[in-house]
Amino acid sequence: MNLVSYVLRRLLLALFVVLGVLTFTFILAHSLGNPIHAWLGKAAALHPELVSLYVAKYHLNDPFYVQYYYYVVGLLGGNLGYSPSRGFEPVIQIIGQTLPNTLQVAIFAIVLTLVLGIVLGIAAAFYHKKPIDVGIRAFYLAGYSSPPFFVALVLLIVFVYFLHLLPTSGSAAAGLSPPRPITTLPIVDSLLEGDYTYFWSSLQHVILPSLALALTTFGIVTRILRSAMLDVMHSNFIMTARAKGLDERTVFLKHGFRNAMIPVVTISSLVVTWLLTGTVFVENIFSYPGMGQYVVQALLAQDYPGVLAVTLIYAIMIVITNLVADLLYAAFDPQVRLG
Amino acid sequence: MNQDDNGPQAGRRKRRGLLQSLTGGVRIRRNKELVIGGGVIAFFVILALVVEVCTLLHIQVTPYNPIKEGVGPSLAAPSLAHLMGTDLVGRDVFSRIIAATPNGIAIGFVVVSIAMAVGLSVGSLAGFRGGFPDEVLMRVTDIFFAIPSLIMAIAIAAALGPGLVNMMFALMIVWWPSYARLARGETLKVAHQNYVESARMSGQGVGGVIVKHVIPNIFLTMIVYATLDLGTVIIAYSGLSYLGLSVTPPAADWGQMVATYENYLISAPWLAVFPGAVIALGVIGFSIFGDGLRDALEVS
Repeated sequence: MNLVSYVLRRLLLALFVVLGVLTFTFILAHSLGNPIHAWLGKAAALHPELVSLYVAKYHLNDPFYVQYYYYVVGLLGGNLGYSPSRGFEPVIQIIGQTLPNTLQVAIFAIVLTLVLGIVLGIAAAFYHKKPIDVGIRAFYLAGYSSPPFFVALVLLIVFVYFLHLLPTSGSAAAGLSPPRPITTLPIVDSLLEGDYTYFWSSLQHVILPSLALALTTFGIVTRILRSAMLDVMHSNFIMTARAKGLDERTVFLKHGFRNAMIPVVTISSLVVTWLLTGTVFVENIFSYPGMGQYVVQALLAQDYPGVLAVTLIYAIMIVITNLVADLLYAAFDPQVRLG
Repeated sequence: MNQDDNGPQAGRRKRRGLLQSLTGGVRIRRNKELVIGGGVIAFFVILALVVEVCTLLHIQVTPYNPIKEGVGPSLAAPSLAHLMGTDLVGRDVFSRIIAATPNGIAIGFVVVSIAMAVGLSVGSLAGFRGGFPDEVLMRVTDIFFAIPSLIMAIAIAAALGPGLVNMMFALMIVWWPSYARLARGETLKVAHQNYVESARMSGQGVGGVIVKHVIPNIFLTMIVYATLDLGTVIIAYSGLSYLGLSVTPPAADWGQMVATYENYLISAPWLAVFPGAVIALGVIGFSIFGDGLRDALEVS
């Protein structure tokens, strides 16, 4: 199989998966009894005009397959319903405001996860069975065994109440006006526009939420990298490198590390899935105005349009992540696309 | 092919060897992990059982009634009278944490057992038969894999409404596919072994071969995976509980306690830390035990 047909096959699968998720949210919407509840929430009765609009638009008095068709068409047109917990604002609009913030947290968390995971993974392998290795192991075990909301809480207590170092809530200091959207990510936009006050403030706000997430996920990277390094260091090409007279540090970092990173790439999509799921809790604790905070508010207010729409958006993000990871992997490792 | 390496004896002998490696003291370091992790798990399981049985018999094991208000002052700091302090309405936090132990442990074991039972049957059948059923199963698991399971569980639990049973149900719906995928992969490894083929040739039906020859040989791998997975289920459960999808107040649940006590971070920061730390401790136990088991049994 060549690369083109592999890519096509993966794209097709991704589309198929998105359709599966759509079907799932459709079934969930109907399992609530009247799907009107799912799209408008339990306050639907207060807005009879919206109800009749929905019945007409989504053919709710027609058979299921007709409803399904109009449901999918509606979603493709960007109609995710109206959010009762936010004064019946269109959900797509709320997603537009909150998604960039979630992406910011996730991107920073990915960077922190990789930095922590790789540095500690190498250190643990280098000092194999020494106290440093044991210490690192205890650290990552504690990290990935803790629920994200607990790690976030501990960080909040330590940094905010004891050290008074970083801001507790929001995505930037109150009173600062957000930059014009270029990439839609406020941190990047403020930098591009030279609004350094906003940039600095939003950077300070993003650190704790993303650090909390990174602390729960870096252990996956550290553990895989450590054991891969230990495996790789026994292989023939490492012996050759040593025989050439290279010093141990060079052998370790240049030859060992590069090859040990392959399994880390393989699990990267798993790490991203964990991180994205974690944003739900972490944003909530740091009052970070992202999609995670919105979904929790929606959940508490029984705002089903919000919950279902956010589920869908998270799933699509995961599908894209998996797709990118698979394609990158295929690009790096010919065995995948040939096998 | 050498009958010795691949015959019906091989699996049995291998399993005996594995048991020996567990008890023989060959791998002392690994045994230490099993002991520490196993100790933590045993502590939680026994505590959960004691609490559950005593609750059924209406015997109070906790120092105070976990749902009774005013057994102490409001927001008292940890002391000998109240080991973990008291909450806003003067309930004893230590008693509440103990009373909630059966929830987490029960959900962990029930979700994992059902996911394993469903996954094992579906996965081994698909792997063994191949063809169309296999194709359908793999596409379905692909879909489930692409969905962040916790987020899907949140959506399902939101649709079903709060409650322990609903939460268990929501987790089960999203949890079995990874077991099906693992069981299928492991089945493919053994499906063409001589002992399976000879069982087939001797006239046993598909079901019989799967039950008698395939499942016993892939069970160990599944158990190791399940042990490691128990911790993940407990994290997911505590997340749902944190979001208010588990028990209804005044009953106590770990995640839900963290969410409630988070409001008193300034006046009583220890309150939210205790239930959170208990969750982490339990999960660490399962992680260490699973790691130890994996090393000791040499299953990847």
